[in-house]
Amino acid sequence: MKRVMSCTLWAAIVGCNLARSDAPPAAPSAPASAGYSSSALYNSANAYARAGKPGLAVLNYERAKLLDPIDPDIEPNLDRVRQRASLPPLPANALIRLSHAIPPEAVAWIGFVGLLLAGSSLLSRELFPRHRGKLLAVALFGFCLLGITLGCAIAVYPTLQEAVVVGHSVEVRVSPTLLEEPLFVLPEAEIVSVGAEHEGFMLIRNSAGRTGWAPNANLALVVPKRQVTSPAL
Amino acid sequence: MGRRFQHGIWTLAACGLLIGAVAANPARAAAAADASVDASIEPSQITLGESARLTYTTSGRGTLSVPLPVVSGLEFRVVGQSSRFEFVNGVSISSTSTIIRVTADEAGVFTIPGPTPKSPPLVLRVNPSNGAGPSLSNPAAPGLNPLNSGALEANGIRLTPDGSAYVRLEVPKHELYVGESVPAEIQVGMRDGFASSINGLPKLNSSDFTLNSLSFQPERSAKVIDGKPFTVYSWHSLLSAIKPGSYSLTFEAPVTVRIRTQPRRDSILDDLLGDPFMQNLFGPSVTKNLTVTSPGAAFTVLPLPSEGKPADFGGAVGSFKISTDVSSATNTAGDPLTLRMHVNGSGTFDRVQSTMLAADAEWKTYQSKSSFNQADPTGFRGEKTFEQPIIATKPGVQTIPALSFSYFDPGTRHYETAKSAPLRVTVSPSAADSAAAPPPLANAAANAPGAAAAKDRSGLRPDHPAASARSDSLVPVYLRPPFLGVQSVLALLFAGGWVALRRRARNARDLQRHRERVRRAAASQQLQQMAAASGAGNTALFFNSARGALQQVLSLDWQMEPEQVTTGEVEARLGPEDQAIRQLFALTDEANYSGGTPRADFERWTDVVNHRIQAHPA
Repeated sequence: MKRVMSCTLWAAIVGCNLARSDAPPAAPSAPASAGYSSSALYNSANAYARAGKPGLAVLNYERAKLLDPIDPDIEPNLDRVRQRASLPPLPANALIRLSHAIPPEAVAWIGFVGLLLAGSSLLSRELFPRHRGKLLAVALFGFCLLGITLGCAIAVYPTLQEAVVVGHSVEVRVSPTLLEEPLFVLPEAEIVSVGAEHEGFMLIRNSAGRTGWAPNANLALVVPKRQVTSPAL
Repeated sequence: MGRRFQHGIWTLAACGLLIGAVAANPARAAAAADASVDASIEPSQITLGESARLTYTTSGRGTLSVPLPVVSGLEFRVVGQSSRFEFVNGVSISSTSTIIRVTADEAGVFTIPGPTPKSPPLVLRVNPSNGAGPSLSNPAAPGLNPLNSGALEANGIRLTPDGSAYVRLEVPKHELYVGESVPAEIQVGMRDGFASSINGLPKLNSSDFTLNSLSFQPERSAKVIDGKPFTVYSWHSLLSAIKPGSYSLTFEAPVTVRIRTQPRRDSILDDLLGDPFMQNLFGPSVTKNLTVTSPGAAFTVLPLPSEGKPADFGGAVGSFKISTDVSSATNTAGDPLTLRMHVNGSGTFDRVQSTMLAADAEWKTYQSKSSFNQADPTGFRGEKTFEQPIIATKPGVQTIPALSFSYFDPGTRHYETAKSAPLRVTVSPSAADSAAAPPPLANAAANAPGAAAAKDRSGLRPDHPAASARSDSLVPVYLRPPFLGVQSVLALLFAGGWVALRRRARNARDLQRHRERVRRAAASQQLQQMAAASGAGNTALFFNSARGALQQVLSLDWQMEPEQVTTGEVEARLGPEDQAIRQLFALTDEANYSGGTPRADFERWTDVVNHRIQAHPA
């Protein structure tokens, strides 16, 4: 039992250190040389929107939303840019609204604490049978906290597999080659989910459920595969 | 004018005879008692495909109804009728002759019944044909003569022996190189009124040449050969040589012609009619399927020279020019362009091939496709266009290298290589690349002091002060692998601990149950000893057995061994409601240590023990 408790304590320490690594730097006003900043992404998105580049604007809004989902300005601006591009507003269910209500760091802490509470309570129920009822209530509370994190993860995870159309009228073909006749055309700023990549093409699925291969050059992944180092961001 | 008038007179006369023949149909029913009928057939021996003439002659007064004979394998058809009046010694005698054409469907000896039951039968012998047509192979066959003999090789055209059709090949040259194509025109001439139909496309009688597919509908024109009108059907195609050598090419075409069956001496009158339609109408004839062959055309096929053959030569022979263009002179990196190469000229376009642009560091290329726009029906002249999708991999001013195409020119008798000019394309950075690039300058203006709070004219909410935390990843913390790993390890540890505790508790419960079963069995045995001692009046044994049974039961409640349940433990643990059990332990000690036998109510103490055992939960 002592071994279990020591492991739990170790995990808690690691979790704390992990969360601390995403904490703001000591001097927020100091210019950083690398990494993403939600405000910088948001400002870039606004600039692209003003410059008439809805694809790049939507891409940066989506990236800013991942870093700071509770920012009240991102969602209205994103909807406005999509409206200008004649695209429907993005769907929002309960889980998405939940993920937009809690900062990502808080979601991580909630999940960590919830797992600790639920796990330790279940163990204690076996050790202290006289307090089984109270410990069960604590375990259920921990599971609820864990559910919040799980719900946010379910809501946000598809965004990690999405890409934004940054080209004009991108043609989608049935195979990853330019010899095929286009199946349909993707408008700029549309968000598509990416299934696979092959020799400069991405297998995409649009909001209507249609699939096909589109050139990589006209799509930008919301979460790029390679780490981007840019002083401007 | 006079000849045309003569034709008209003969035409009217022939029509009158035809009407008379129809009016005097021998099938009509009328008979006279003193009329007689004679029958004759000429010739009595024919070749299969030829016809014989059967003549029924009725004489005397009145008419006879003579039906057409019916013989299996023979076809009878009335082709004419004539009447004659004679005055002999002041008496008029009339006779009528009905001419019937007899055609055999098969060889053999046929017996034709006479016109009347008393008439003798006629015999017609039909010999098998030699397969070359009735009169073409042997124009002097008995009873059958060609309409126009001696018309061979007139005006460079070789007519069939009966002069009804010909096949002719026209090519611009007779010396070719292997793989070279020349336009060819195949003419099938059919004399009006004698050749009735073409039963198939002309066929090339050589495996050393290839002929492109002929058009289904030929061109049609009129032509006069040796004063005779012909209808000429012309097919256009491309003739290509396969291997070197000297060859003689012939073409053949299946046609259907009408062959005269009238003897030559009788055809003079028909020839005077002039009009082919009237000739065939009045001249006895049959339709036959013939295969007309053209005269041999000599060709010399030369091999392609091996000297100076370019490495990219693909077998195209002709005269060509090339040009290239690109779909757009400005483009974005990653967007596809279409590179086109146009090959114009004349020759074997099916051998015109090109690999187009090869992939390199500046251009990513895809497989090309081609299309051909022919300028003539045969495809000898035209333009072949190759289209290749290409993608610029780098921004900037890029150059598409020159393309080349090699062919053999039979005019100069040398290999030639046509080259196009290089093309320049201005490529701008792709949109995906600019996603990571610095934003436009409008952002800088928006970040100016006071601009962040200003209401954007575009309806967007204002920019934020650039003071937010930076992260090395866009992935939320709770979806990053380290967090998920820690959570997973924690969950596994908790789950493992919970399972271990549950298993330990279950083992303890199992041990307790086993212990209960053993002690209940022991208590039951003690109860039996109590009953035996009670029956024997052995007070000491009774109380010892009673205490032993209670020790088994109480040890289960108190989680101790039965031997540890002593009188002292009983005094300490049991309450006032269990006074009887205290007394039982005291009486047992009295019976064991005093040596006397206390007075005992066996039935009462048995009830006390049973009640305590039953009170314990199973």
